Amino acid sequence: RAVHAHDSADASPTAPVKAVSSDPFQAPPATSASLMDQPDVAASADAGPKAAATALPHEVPGGLSNVPMFVEVTTYLSFLLLVMLAHVEDFFGKLFMPQKYKQLRVQNGFAPMVKDFESMWIRHVYFRLRDCFNRPITGVAGGRVTLVDRVSKDYNKTFQFTGRLRNVLNLASYNYLGFAQSEGPCADKVDEALREGGVFQGSPVAEAGRTLLLAETEDMVARFVGAEAALIVSMGYATNALNIPTLATKGCLIISDELNHNSLVTGARLSGAEIRVFRHNNTRDLEKQLRRSIAQGQPRTHRPWKRILVVVEGLYSMEGEFCKLPEIVELRRRYKFHLFVDEAHSVGALGKRGRGVCDHFGVDPREVDILMGTFTKSFGAAGGYIAGSRALIDHLRLHSHSAVYAEAMSVPVLAQVSSSMRMIMGEDRENAVLGQQKLDQLAINSRYFAQGLRDLGFMTLGDAGSPVVPLLLFNPAKISAFSRECLRRNIAVVVVAYPGVPVNSCRVRFCISASHTVEELDYALEQVSEIGDLLMLKFRKPTATKSIAGLATKHD
Amino acid sequence: MESAASVANLAGGDEAKRGLLRTAWDFSFRVVLRYIKNSYKDDPFRTFLEACLIGFIIWYMAKRKYNIGTNEIVLTDKEIDELVDEWKPEPLVPPLTDFEREKLDRAVMIDGPNGTKVRLVSGSGTKPAVNFASYNFLGFIDSEEVGQHAIETLRKYGVGSCGPPGFYGTLDVHMKLEKQLAAFVGHSAAILYSQAFATTLSVIPCFSKRNDIIVADESVSFSVQQAISLARSKVYWYKHNDMADLERILGDVNKQLARRGKGGLPRKFIITEGMFQNTGDIAPLDELVALKHRYKFRIILDESFSFGVLGKRGAGLTDHFNVDPHEVDLLIGALCYALGASGGFCCADKDLIEHQRLSGAGYCFSASMPGILTVAASDAIQALEANPAGFLPALRENATLLRGLLERIPGLQVEGAADSPLIHIRLTPEALVRMRRSGGTWTKEDIDRVLGEMAEEAQKDGILLTPATYVDEHERILPNPSIRICVSCTHTRKEIEKCAHAIKSAVSRVTSKKR
Repeated sequence: RAVHAHDSADASPTAPVKAVSSDPFQAPPATSASLMDQPDVAASADAGPKAAATALPHEVPGGLSNVPMFVEVTTYLSFLLLVMLAHVEDFFGKLFMPQKYKQLRVQNGFAPMVKDFESMWIRHVYFRLRDCFNRPITGVAGGRVTLVDRVSKDYNKTFQFTGRLRNVLNLASYNYLGFAQSEGPCADKVDEALREGGVFQGSPVAEAGRTLLLAETEDMVARFVGAEAALIVSMGYATNALNIPTLATKGCLIISDELNHNSLVTGARLSGAEIRVFRHNNTRDLEKQLRRSIAQGQPRTHRPWKRILVVVEGLYSMEGEFCKLPEIVELRRRYKFHLFVDEAHSVGALGKRGRGVCDHFGVDPREVDILMGTFTKSFGAAGGYIAGSRALIDHLRLHSHSAVYAEAMSVPVLAQVSSSMRMIMGEDRENAVLGQQKLDQLAINSRYFAQGLRDLGFMTLGDAGSPVVPLLLFNPAKISAFSRECLRRNIAVVVVAYPGVPVNSCRVRFCISASHTVEELDYALEQVSEIGDLLMLKFRKPTATKSIAGLATKHD
Repeated sequence: MESAASVANLAGGDEAKRGLLRTAWDFSFRVVLRYIKNSYKDDPFRTFLEACLIGFIIWYMAKRKYNIGTNEIVLTDKEIDELVDEWKPEPLVPPLTDFEREKLDRAVMIDGPNGTKVRLVSGSGTKPAVNFASYNFLGFIDSEEVGQHAIETLRKYGVGSCGPPGFYGTLDVHMKLEKQLAAFVGHSAAILYSQAFATTLSVIPCFSKRNDIIVADESVSFSVQQAISLARSKVYWYKHNDMADLERILGDVNKQLARRGKGGLPRKFIITEGMFQNTGDIAPLDELVALKHRYKFRIILDESFSFGVLGKRGAGLTDHFNVDPHEVDLLIGALCYALGASGGFCCADKDLIEHQRLSGAGYCFSASMPGILTVAASDAIQALEANPAGFLPALRENATLLRGLLERIPGLQVEGAADSPLIHIRLTPEALVRMRRSGGTWTKEDIDRVLGEMAEEAQKDGILLTPATYVDEHERILPNPSIRICVSCTHTRKEIEKCAHAIKSAVSRVTSKKR
């Protein structure tokens, strides 16, 4: 059972939970005044808080900058060894076992489907860790999840199911608010909708696929995020990949954060617009790029750009970092670009009222031209939305690829979205406080867990209050070791290696949910601490731990 | 050297080490010097040349970097500020035209399920209509059993899976459906994606990369066009369903490759659709397979609309032509059209499916399909597999019946293969000419408007139709405007006749109107 906000505050002596719960979402002061040394930039940013001069450092100072030399060197050496082994194995394998390498050679006049080099990573590295990914589950991915147990007897080439089920603590699913449920008020609403509306809508929205339920849910989404109108898409990935091409065309420029999600990259590539990338969360670099791009215009012709679209994410899911929205909004006023914020992970999870990154920073949602988000995470549903001005949404209804060509969202998913959203907004009379309780609980849980890890001496990434807490592992061998050790202790975690993250910073990612109890989190911390000792993961010195803890308190 | 090193180690201490370093430096310096002297003695000109070369390398590396192809102008900060102030971006979206406004205002709104019979919102109440607009070929949207089972699934799996398949988003029902699909199609393995459009968008770029070659039918649906553009391969388009044209291009491509000689064989693909969304035609798979082997091109087949519809068992184009499904290297299908669930899948060899689990963007980077929809698809396949005679003959009968009735309507052009349940109708050019007595040409918008009127007229008679919509500015070749009719096996004979009748009167009412 989930413990309510105040109970958990009493139950946890280590973290400053009480202070957090009283005021967990104070927007940190913006650091916009020191963006660049341009005099008029400073003037335009004058409106921002003067506290900027004493801007708080990033939660983890420098992020990846203070990695112990030994760790870094051994990480690179490990990868080098892996690659060398792979080449040696391939060389002798091709020599002595040509049958096994048939797929990689020209056969009967057909070029290999997957080239030697392209599949090197999969064949030699991924297969060693394959048991840590695609672990099948059954039932609901809630605070706990039931794994379908499997074993491999041939080094992960094939898996056999043992027929057993394992109920484990789930620190892996994006179930931030704990709405992934098969019982309870939301599920009841979905049940009702299924009885009334069937399962699926057989048309794209633009071709006789618009239903009352869809229209009502769209209106609610718009109200929720604070926009004039919204458009719902049946898949999160497609929300970006199929809508960005309508928002930017040839002659436009897309400036994108280097760590943006693949769907944003795909959308940008499909749009035909020029794409430039700025360094992750570095508004200075963004401004530099903007100044250069506007001044130089389009390449070769120097024609002015039709539009500039800056694409950022609200919460970076592999880093646990928030985008620097207040600074970017300042830049938007000065440089007149259009701002696209992907709130896939932040909507529902951030902000006092759960409205996402705008709510968190106290930024007016109308300062963001395009608010995109997904329902997969906090709402326990699927699909995504785009919200913005009415003119934008009207245009998208007729010209977006998702509205014209893709299937509409199915009935149960719509019902789940609308019922969970209503609950978060406190509009569900019977469960008026449940949504807010979940929001508070998530804020407390994520701070408690992240702080706990830091106190233990682990190296974590991310901003305070992020429900995603990445813990750095570095060495590739520790990826599988960590995941397997966790599973042995009945904890499900997500480990991420290259190509998901840069080669030198393999990590494990914990996703905290409002449905985790303090006991569960304590259990996880205890077990992770043991694993940390076993795998030598506590890179921080105890002195550093203290100052970080102090910083976090001040930050709050 | 080695002995010196061991001596130094024995002696220990800093001085010994430093001495050793000095000895090593002296030694190497002497070697280099001796080499230069010797070579100068033998060939003074070569030494001179080498010195020049070293000088050039140093000069080249020290020189300021420049980028090829940019013509950037150096500006002062003040000038940049002025340019920034002057720059006026276009608005994010253009204002709606009158016609677009009209289209939005007139869009149909459905209350409740979107099955064969729908309730249209009109004014304050609702009005019943028979649905010929939705892709509900096998009528699974109306299925009671599927609906009941969905509720049971909800009570076990909830709604969202809350994660991508790689990260605890793979449900046991996903694996079951994948096995079922592979067995049903007759291929080795299958992979599920959570949206049909994203399936194509992921599968094609996953295998066809830069430098590879794609030869594609020019009438393929938009999702295939987008996937091809994402792949960045070299693309050739052949005339719609024209095998002679295809063969000519395949021959040309192979000739070009032979002329190029070495440099590695690129992957070569023929991409086409099973049943074309934009025309209702069926691709001649038997001929494609023959060409595949003759010219060594692999086949990527988008069966989004043919899966569940064509063939004796409803297993798609391979079933229809009785071709071994393994001949199709990548078979892409949709669960959201015939099966009334959601998402798409790809069938291929095991290795290629496993490759997609790490490289298929829509699989890796998106949450998996909700359990309810997965089970709905599973149920639909089971039902179709158990009793194809309960669905397919009725579907074909209905399609042939409606097509026959429509072909008899004067002024109407009917497109698509004979028993395809996807029928495109449009006004004949003669009818269009007759309608405009004052002369003048028809713009696309005019025709769209007329088709919209036709659909509205039909709605008055209780038939829901929709003009085929496209994002005009993004289609490679914009298909001719048409009304797309989707026949379902659950339509009764009476409903089909009513539909034909409604279209007939709509045509006569629209064409008799003076313009």
